[in-house]
Amino acid sequence: MTGSSAADLQPVVRIIGQRQIVFDNEGFLNDFSDWTEELCIMLAGECGLAELVEKHWRVIRFLREFYAGHGRAPLNSQLKKGTGMSLLELETVFPGGIKNGARRLAGLPNPKTCS
Amino acid sequence: MIYLDNAATSYPKPGDCLRRALERYLELGASPGRGGYDRAVQAEEAVSAVRLKLARFFGAGDDAHVCFAANATDALNTLIQGLARPGDHVISSRLEHNSVLRPLHHLQQQGIISFDLLPFDSKGYIDPAQVAACIRPSTRLVVITHASNVLGTIQRIAKIGAICRQHGIPLILDVAQTAGCIPIDMQLWDVQGLAFTGHKSLLGPTGIGGLVLAPDLNPQPTRFGGTGIDSANPLQPLFYPSRLEAGTINLLGILGLAETVDFVESYHKAHYACEMQLFAQLVDRLKRLPRVQLYAADNPADHLPVLACTVDGIAATDVGAILDGDFDIAVRTGLHCAPLVHETLGTLGDGTIRFSLGPFTTEADIDAAVRAMTTIVG
Repeated sequence: MTGSSAADLQPVVRIIGQRQIVFDNEGFLNDFSDWTEELCIMLAGECGLAELVEKHWRVIRFLREFYAGHGRAPLNSQLKKGTGMSLLELETVFPGGIKNGARRLAGLPNPKTCS
Repeated sequence: MIYLDNAATSYPKPGDCLRRALERYLELGASPGRGGYDRAVQAEEAVSAVRLKLARFFGAGDDAHVCFAANATDALNTLIQGLARPGDHVISSRLEHNSVLRPLHHLQQQGIISFDLLPFDSKGYIDPAQVAACIRPSTRLVVITHASNVLGTIQRIAKIGAICRQHGIPLILDVAQTAGCIPIDMQLWDVQGLAFTGHKSLLGPTGIGGLVLAPDLNPQPTRFGGTGIDSANPLQPLFYPSRLEAGTINLLGILGLAETVDFVESYHKAHYACEMQLFAQLVDRLKRLPRVQLYAADNPADHLPVLACTVDGIAATDVGAILDGDFDIAVRTGLHCAPLVHETLGTLGDGTIRFSLGPFTTEADIDAAVRAMTTIVG
């Protein structure tokens, strides 16, 4: 069996603004509290999102506030209600879509379960 | 909610069956096989009747041993770990669920066994001839899934069974996905050991499953404890079912299973053809959509109503989230605990979207799923 090797799953340590930040192998923050707006803007730029506008921030803020308050990501229905966007719209707003875009930029942990 | 995740667990459950089981449970109350008073004896009788029902259901013959477990994973662990001996070689496949792969890897890591995993072709089938080609003098077991939980492809078990019989190697069959969907005949197919779960197409509650053994297959116990019988013996009794059942069994789950197996034999048997017609509609309509890639869906005759697909440009996880959040449709996305299937398909990163139908799926559900997918792909 091959699958994901141990090397594939190694965390990635990056030095950003004189801080050491640890990401998982898919680019998700290891520590929710490492997130800053500056980091988010930098990560957005790396995935081709030159500017984060109000609708991006609305989603990111909702995700972060929800996670901070509940200890988990919002349910799909809560995400839709909380952002005022359909999930299909949300998918198109972030390069990488919902999981690899919005959720990753908001600094939420990588959902490892098969959803 | 439109529920198209029946390969994970069936929903809805036949409520009348489970209500009757609960009533019977409340009425019986006592622990089966754990006392000489009437209620305990009656509880044991009820459980014995279910064992016989299941042996017949799986075509095992009345002399087969039926032991209960928590689920198919639990039963497979009991079978694989109870049968593998130091130096043994095991044959399995790349279609397997982690319920088989992880016990095999564990035993390999412990230096106990080695194993080979048979590939599957582009249509999702193992070539039975490859089983013969992999057999070594040390081959002790062949463990194969009856149908892939990702692709839904039903394997040619009778052919594999004939090869195993010819070489005197027990065939262990994982029927987690097929039990309750399609007929299973252990004797006809030369299957010596079978692992099932109750909560999928047998429509029972979660937490109940088991294994069925041909009379001459005797796994060593891998768990030890109370059996309510032969209690002075410091070792696990070697007679059945105590040999493989340590601790009090799940009476409520067993009674639930008894009811739902009866239901499956009547209602579901009659409706399975309709379920497959709906599946064919789903395949036919989704394959016409742009950006939608279907996997191993070409052969509905040897297929469960399970469909794996991806959408170009959208992660499978996100398609699942959109189906749920925007359309109230429940599907399973990701790797489905079967990583080697995805490795072969090239979908190891994001996995696939899996639509799995059940006996209560309607044409309106399929229409809604196709409409939603049409909207998603634009």
